[in-house]
Amino acid sequence: MNVEAYISSGILEAYALGELTEQERAEVEKNLALYPALQKELALIEETQEKFLMKAGVQPRATVKARLFAAIDAQKSETKIVELHEPDSTLSFWRMAAAASIAVALITSYLAFNYWNKWKDTESNLTELIAQNQRIAQDYNTVNKRLDGIEKDLKITNNPAFNRVVMKGTPNSPASLASVYWNESTKEVYLSIQEMKQLSQENQYQLWAIIDGKPVDAGVFDGNLAGLLKMKEIPSGAKTFAVTIEPRGGKTSPTLETMQVVGNVVKG
Amino acid sequence: MEYLYDHYSAALLGVVARIIKKEELAEEILQDVFLKIWDRIDTYDASKGKLFTWMLNIARNQAIDKTRSKEFSKSKKTDDIENLVSKVDRQDYTELQVEGIGLQEVLKQLPEDQRFVIDHHYLKGYTQAEMSEEFNLPLGTVKTRMRLAMKELRNLLKIT
Repeated sequence: MNVEAYISSGILEAYALGELTEQERAEVEKNLALYPALQKELALIEETQEKFLMKAGVQPRATVKARLFAAIDAQKSETKIVELHEPDSTLSFWRMAAAASIAVALITSYLAFNYWNKWKDTESNLTELIAQNQRIAQDYNTVNKRLDGIEKDLKITNNPAFNRVVMKGTPNSPASLASVYWNESTKEVYLSIQEMKQLSQENQYQLWAIIDGKPVDAGVFDGNLAGLLKMKEIPSGAKTFAVTIEPRGGKTSPTLETMQVVGNVVKG
Repeated sequence: MEYLYDHYSAALLGVVARIIKKEELAEEILQDVFLKIWDRIDTYDASKGKLFTWMLNIARNQAIDKTRSKEFSKSKKTDDIENLVSKVDRQDYTELQVEGIGLQEVLKQLPEDQRFVIDHHYLKGYTQAEMSEEFNLPLGTVKTRMRLAMKELRNLLKIT
């Protein structure tokens, strides 16, 4: 494009005078963006126009200013609803409204997604914590039960009324070792295993008390015993305690050949 | 906004008053113009021209719309030309004529044909097209004269 010719045509003056159609204005604005020389020329034209019109100015009366700013204040407080009477403003109002709606929708979606993510995180954290909590509760119960058992056992083993009878391994099973806590006055008997071998499903250990040379059944038990096991009551007069291996459920008289441990009552 | 008003209200009223020719009505329009400026200031794009040019166009359009919508008509404008010119630039508007000092001196220094276009456009509210029609001048001639006049004014107003 010949910039000189373009300027000479007077189109920039017409542009500054506001005498171009929308289409022509758009054309000029496009050219202005492309050619800095046009911008420079337009700036000079605009400045000339401004300076000239400043000289040609007519001072409005003071009341005009007061009225104007009162009107602006009123418009400020009424927002833009007033403008709805003008068709082009209506359009821009709806355009604004649409833009605002879209903005709100976008922001809301983003927030919703964000919160959904956070909610999911929170939910999985919560599930994990609940599971952990249950585990801890279980552990606590187990420990508590064991502690209860130990406390109970301790009461018995520490009670002087209970006589401890240590039963040592026989030649059948020299490594075995077990104890009986026997309260002669209350007849209570508790068994504690230090070392007894594991038995097959068909067999069980059976505890016997020897009273006046005769074996008396004191109950059966399995080899895998932790803590004290309450056995059948044994009246006073027992001199010896012994354990034999019997068929599951026990027998009325011991099979002496299978005797595992044996110990005499030592009066404290 | 107050700065804009203090700075430009006189120049804009000058433009509006020369198109409307009635003080009361011109001031009413001036108020509408500033309300519009206040309302649309966020649409002003500095890359498309000076702020004054933007405000000037709002003022001109507002005033011209008024002349078209009401008792104003082209014929009336033509009939009253002589009276109004003299009115505005003589004594009837004296109470408003504050910043007009020096205007006549500037205009006098322009060659006759250039003074004509400037006078009719800026002081009488004609568009270039209206001038061409009204005075049987080719539009291109009006544009060229306007361009030369603007160039001359640039020198007279010492704009570099």
